[in-house]
Amino acid sequence: METATQTDPVLRVEGLSVAAGERAVLSDISFDLHPREILAVIGESGSGKTVLARALASWLADPLRVTGGKILFRGKDLVKDPALARRLAGREIAYVGGNPAGALDPTMTVGAQLVEKLRAVRPDISSAEAKRKAIQLLDAVRIPAAAKRFEEYPFQYSGGMMQRAMIVDALISDPPLLIADNITQPLDVTVAAQILKLMRDLNHQFSTAVLFICSSLPVACDASDRVMVLNQGRVAEMQPPAALIRDPQSGYTRKLIAELPRLWDETTHAPAEERGAPVPVLSIRDVAKAYRIRRRGEAGLSVVQAVRNVSFDVYQGDNFGVVGESGCGKSSLMRLLTGLERPDHGEIVFDGADVGSAPASKLREMRRKFQLVLQDPYGSLPPQWPIGKILEEPLKIHGIGSAAERRERARSVMNEVGLPDGYYNHLTGGLSAGQRQRLNVARAMILEPRLLIMDETLSALDQTEQGKLLDLFERLQAQHGFTYIFISHDLTMVRRVCSRIAVMYLGEVVEVAPNERLFFDPGHPYSRALLSAAPTLEDRRYRPEDCLLEGEPPSPIDLPPGCAFASRCPHAFDRCRRENPVLVNRGGRALAACFLNEPASASLENAHA
Amino acid sequence: MSVTDISPAADRVAAAQTVSSRIWRLAFASIEFRIGLVVFILLVLAAALYPEISGIDPTKLSVREKLIPPLFMGETWTWKHPLGTDQLGRDMLSRSLVGLRYSLLIGVATTVLMLLVGAIVGLLSGYYGGRVDMVLMRLTDAQLAIPMIILAITILGVSRPTIPSIILVLGLAGWPVYARVMRSTVMSESKKEYVRGAIVLGATNMRIMFLLILPLVLPPMAFVAVLDIARMMIFESVLGFIGLGVQPPTPTFGNIIADGRKYIMNAWWIATMPGAFLVVTLTSINLMGAALERARNKVYGGA
Repeated sequence: METATQTDPVLRVEGLSVAAGERAVLSDISFDLHPREILAVIGESGSGKTVLARALASWLADPLRVTGGKILFRGKDLVKDPALARRLAGREIAYVGGNPAGALDPTMTVGAQLVEKLRAVRPDISSAEAKRKAIQLLDAVRIPAAAKRFEEYPFQYSGGMMQRAMIVDALISDPPLLIADNITQPLDVTVAAQILKLMRDLNHQFSTAVLFICSSLPVACDASDRVMVLNQGRVAEMQPPAALIRDPQSGYTRKLIAELPRLWDETTHAPAEERGAPVPVLSIRDVAKAYRIRRRGEAGLSVVQAVRNVSFDVYQGDNFGVVGESGCGKSSLMRLLTGLERPDHGEIVFDGADVGSAPASKLREMRRKFQLVLQDPYGSLPPQWPIGKILEEPLKIHGIGSAAERRERARSVMNEVGLPDGYYNHLTGGLSAGQRQRLNVARAMILEPRLLIMDETLSALDQTEQGKLLDLFERLQAQHGFTYIFISHDLTMVRRVCSRIAVMYLGEVVEVAPNERLFFDPGHPYSRALLSAAPTLEDRRYRPEDCLLEGEPPSPIDLPPGCAFASRCPHAFDRCRRENPVLVNRGGRALAACFLNEPASASLENAHA
Repeated sequence: MSVTDISPAADRVAAAQTVSSRIWRLAFASIEFRIGLVVFILLVLAAALYPEISGIDPTKLSVREKLIPPLFMGETWTWKHPLGTDQLGRDMLSRSLVGLRYSLLIGVATTVLMLLVGAIVGLLSGYYGGRVDMVLMRLTDAQLAIPMIILAITILGVSRPTIPSIILVLGLAGWPVYARVMRSTVMSESKKEYVRGAIVLGATNMRIMFLLILPLVLPPMAFVAVLDIARMMIFESVLGFIGLGVQPPTPTFGNIIADGRKYIMNAWWIATMPGAFLVVTLTSINLMGAALERARNKVYGGA
């Protein structure tokens, strides 16, 4: 096989250059792609990854155009013959994008779309045959009850299932080449890990060559046979993953690897647990919040239990982390903590007063002391406001200082977060995402709060910019004595900055533990599953096969009794399906909600650990 | 860190000024804005001063001078009446300018009233939603269900048609459309992240509505409202035409047209002059509005 692939690449790209007007976007890209091979393309945003994918799929829109080079698909040059390229696109060269919800037609059943796709490229296949094939493939990508799901609409699919359906959509015409553009980007780590595993299996089963485009080095290394590193539209280097990590050839790759935070590396600087004085700034007791929603096509309301029985303390000077996958209730919890919504029951005590039940005017007063930095760097700033006005607004709201004093304060915080002084009258339009987040932080800290809640503040930024902002947070904490709560899905970020971490699953806190303890001795099987799925280049402490059963989290509507994780937990036993475990102290400040931690079953846990 | 300044010199100058002064400066730099401004100022000055300064009384009859055509038309034209006279020998220029005075007053005041009521109703109902929304929107529906002309006839027929009552009637009949548009834009704006950000900063609902959302959504509506000034001037003419507008002998565009209609075959200028003034006034307003809008878009850059 080795010799066969050597002689017969599916795709050969020679000196490909793409330009937007006068500016070169890709220059001189050359590589071969053999059948059954997965080639990962990585690079930071703006390095031309997506442009490459689209050039290969003959999907370049103005002003982008190919300015030189060849794209040889089975020996035929697609650049010279656009008609052939268009014929091949979708039939022989399949493309899967990162936005499955946008790619599926909401008004048609998933099955109908798959059949339509297949019959469009292969009119000779009968619709019965097409349907049989679609169901078979849906089964192959492990969509449960494929025959039934075939008849369902996209909105009935979860994000992970939609992405699987898109993979089926791409594979249904048996393409020799699949271009996967950022397919795991919108998915949670545990689901993304499953999709990656699936890609590998399919790659073997259908002998498809895959061009796998992604922005995370660990994911790329996990998924591929060779990794191509793009830097500013040029190939920085191309090597098998192991060699790339061991012996990077280009300075750019070395920099990328060096910047990667590590989860289990001894040298990882993790904030010490005990540095905070044991004075709780924020204490949360048995907080719960349910939403009543009307489901489509059904009478009556169903109850979504977004947050259930959450309790934890955040201490002065702490860096408290809340991690979990999407839909686990992180954002609902954030809304409760900031008083945007009121809990159904339970207390959120901040500074001696209950945020959950404070009257509106008292809450406004309290807001001076705790601030929120939102996730979206674009939507969270008022449009058409100059930067100085944005910064002075909080002071005006709380009636602090005269106009001149406010201006002075605004300039001084701009200075602290590293925004140039001349930006005072600038609009936000020209700012980069990183600068916008700096502005957001500046706006939150101008009131000199005690507690700053960071809701996925860094998730929209690339690795380099994240590092810079984390340094900034650290400096500000040293200067002003802030307490931070980081709400995030990114374990590596949490590992680096948080002293204590709460893990959430389906609205519940399943574990609260100091940093070291969580990463080296997690007390809940879900924490282990999360750690096993985290994209990292290190040797894994936990293997995904041991930690997580196939499948996705159950719907938070009409939860089954017992432990919410039982359906995916490899260690679940009868009791887990009957009663729900509560948080139990397991020494130090570590708590976990799992029956395995009880003395009676301690031996069992040891056996699995 | 990456600084996104590309054209340092020009940008630094711009950065030193506030945003609104940049918009005005940019608008003023355009030739359309200047033309519009000059024409508009001339018209307003003429309307305000000419009838008094020239000493020509727009209501003074002079049967000997009736139906004189405008300058250079026919044989009997004279410099004394540049735009001719009507069937009772009244000076058309003076009458048109006085009519412009009332029409402009009514048009602008009505539009402002409409915009104000519509914007506030829409803002409240879009921001609060729920019951507030329901009550206000049913009110809007009720208002929309009554045709403007019937409303005008009812109210103005019962009370005396004075200028304030005309403004009130026209204004009240027009606001529902604004309330509808305003409500939908406010609804979508108020769900956005930055509004949530403002709540967390401790801003009150009033502050968010009037200082954060309103300034964002009002300008595009105000540009539409400028066009409505014309519509309202025409409506005023309609009211004048059916005799429910400003009462004669005070000249307004409406009753000038109503009078001139009978003489349209042999004295076309009587009914035409109000229209010509309307066109020039509105063109000048629109020129300024368009230039301002362009400047705004340029400064905000689509943000």
